[in-house]
Amino acid sequence: MAQKTIEEIMNSEVVLSIKDLVIKFNLRGQELTAIRGASLDLHKGESLAIVGESGSGKSVLNKSFMGLLDSNGRIESGSIMYNGQDLAKFKTEEDWIKIRGKEIAMVFQDPMTSLNPLKAIGKQVQESIELHQNLKGEEAKKLAVEILNDVGISEPERRYKQYPHEFSGGMRQRVVIATAVACNPNILICDEPTTALDVTIQAQILQLLKNLQDKYNLTIIYITHDLGVVANVADRIAVMYAGDIIEIGSSEEVFFDPKHPYTWALLSSLPQLGVKGEALYSIKGTPPNLFKEIKGDAFAPRNPHALKIDFVERPPYFEVTPTHKARTWLLDPRAPKVEPPPLVKKMQELYIEAGDKVE
Amino acid sequence: MKYISTRLFRSLLTLIIVVTVVFLLMRMMPIEGYFGANFDKLDEAQKTVKLQNLGLLDPWYTQLKNFYTDLLKGNLGESITYRPKVAITKILGDKLITSLKLGMSSLVVSLVLGLGLGILMARFKGKFMDKLGTVYVVGANAVPAVIYYLLIQVFFTDIFNLPLLYDKSNPKSWILPILCLSLVNIAYYAMWIRRYMVDELNKDYVRLARAKGLTNKEIMSKHVMRNAFVPMAQYLPASILYTVSGSIYVESLFSIPGTGGLLVTAIQRQDNTLVQALVLLYSSIGIIGLMLGDILMAAFDPRIKLANEGGSR
Repeated sequence: MAQKTIEEIMNSEVVLSIKDLVIKFNLRGQELTAIRGASLDLHKGESLAIVGESGSGKSVLNKSFMGLLDSNGRIESGSIMYNGQDLAKFKTEEDWIKIRGKEIAMVFQDPMTSLNPLKAIGKQVQESIELHQNLKGEEAKKLAVEILNDVGISEPERRYKQYPHEFSGGMRQRVVIATAVACNPNILICDEPTTALDVTIQAQILQLLKNLQDKYNLTIIYITHDLGVVANVADRIAVMYAGDIIEIGSSEEVFFDPKHPYTWALLSSLPQLGVKGEALYSIKGTPPNLFKEIKGDAFAPRNPHALKIDFVERPPYFEVTPTHKARTWLLDPRAPKVEPPPLVKKMQELYIEAGDKVE
Repeated sequence: MKYISTRLFRSLLTLIIVVTVVFLLMRMMPIEGYFGANFDKLDEAQKTVKLQNLGLLDPWYTQLKNFYTDLLKGNLGESITYRPKVAITKILGDKLITSLKLGMSSLVVSLVLGLGLGILMARFKGKFMDKLGTVYVVGANAVPAVIYYLLIQVFFTDIFNLPLLYDKSNPKSWILPILCLSLVNIAYYAMWIRRYMVDELNKDYVRLARAKGLTNKEIMSKHVMRNAFVPMAQYLPASILYTVSGSIYVESLFSIPGTGGLLVTAIQRQDNTLVQALVLLYSSIGIIGLMLGDILMAAFDPRIKLANEGGSR
């Protein structure tokens, strides 16, 4: 499969553009800032992976594109431009109905519970088609069977009539993906699409999503905390920490030339990089309390390389290459030179070696 | 089908056991009951003759055999003390129809209003509608029924100019009994459907349906309502059938000639044949109701397979 080059992606049009988005929640009388001024451009046809630990705001960010925030959450400021409309201004269900499914569809984490247990799976796929593709009855059914076939369900005619409990987890996730694809969306958000599946199935599902991306011309956002998933499928990676995107770049740039200390720490914790006999690396401390206002760089308290300014002023984005930027003062020309941790350097070396061999 | 036939066979067995046990228990009661107030006025010989005529002096197994042979012929016998020498079927016939008519009307009213109220409460969970509904549900359950039955009878007859007592030929007189019978049931159905719907609304498939682009209304009507109804479907046939057993309170309050309290009276008066007929009837209803409930639930929920019992669910 031809992976798109990073240049092709950056040159294709921007389908979704998020600017300085702030999302707040009211929780037990307190105000929690879940997204703190995140910005992001999504390009047509790309696969963007959003990675980060639990609570970093990955899911909240994506839910805000579909108006699926919980009722105590709201968009405080910023914009989400899609097709000339600002989704951040959407209030009513009527507004969102035009976006949900039709423009942006979503695949959820747990396929075991994502399907209605009392409806034949074919009907659930057909429901998407009837909602968004102006087909009814037999025609819609024919297309539903076709899509079931596309997501790798054998004997789709027969299985159309079966119920979710007659399917395994991996097969159910295929059905869930089918219901999303059947909406014929522009953007497909996959929220931890493989987390609930066992390892052998994970690869199949990721491969399936790749194939569907080509066939249906989808732009895909993967939300995940599994860097293994990311390495397999993403053209670009956005790293989130405490409600902000702290580094974004092509997969190669983020994996092999990361700039933000948090990205370093995240990569260093990959079990695959561990040395036998040594304890695995883990990031010290806990993520910041989002009920309080965060001053400077949110990662500073856990960052062994933190500078004084990290505690005072929030870093802007520094551009490393036209496709790669990171929010860290370490990239400021006045900053002292800090070497990435050994594990990250090891990855860089491996990468350069591999590159040499290819040439 | 195999499931249904084994189930029917077992039900029949249960029924026979229940009826036999009740039959024998009735035979163990002291004989005074058969004579009522006349007990002291009759001498021994007269008493023996009467018992002889009723067949009560035969050995118990002969009595039991006679009862079942008659039953197979479809003959439930005649009443002994309640209305002497009147066929049981005749006594029960009218009463059953009266109770069934009122009960069914009340059930329809309760289902429509109760499910409607519950669905509204679930849709506006936590809002005014939900709170108002909760007040009603708690009120209907907490206040003893007799109190508001009386209040309804006293005030509604005045306010709406409705008849005080039941009159078979005047449909207007049915309104208040039906209202009384329905009040608790409305609360009951509203409470359960609300609860099951709220359960369903929190499930992941609802989130997926929303992400697919269904409106709240469509999610309710196409997904949630049916799924929430499944657990209620099990009890529905039994509730329908049980309406024939009437309600003691409401029927005595509006002097309705129904079956409410009939079983109690029959036992007190030691009317063996009537008791046997009623036990047979009510037990069959209970057993058939449960069976229909299971079948209905299996029809709604594809995960429930009646054939292999002891499965995962």
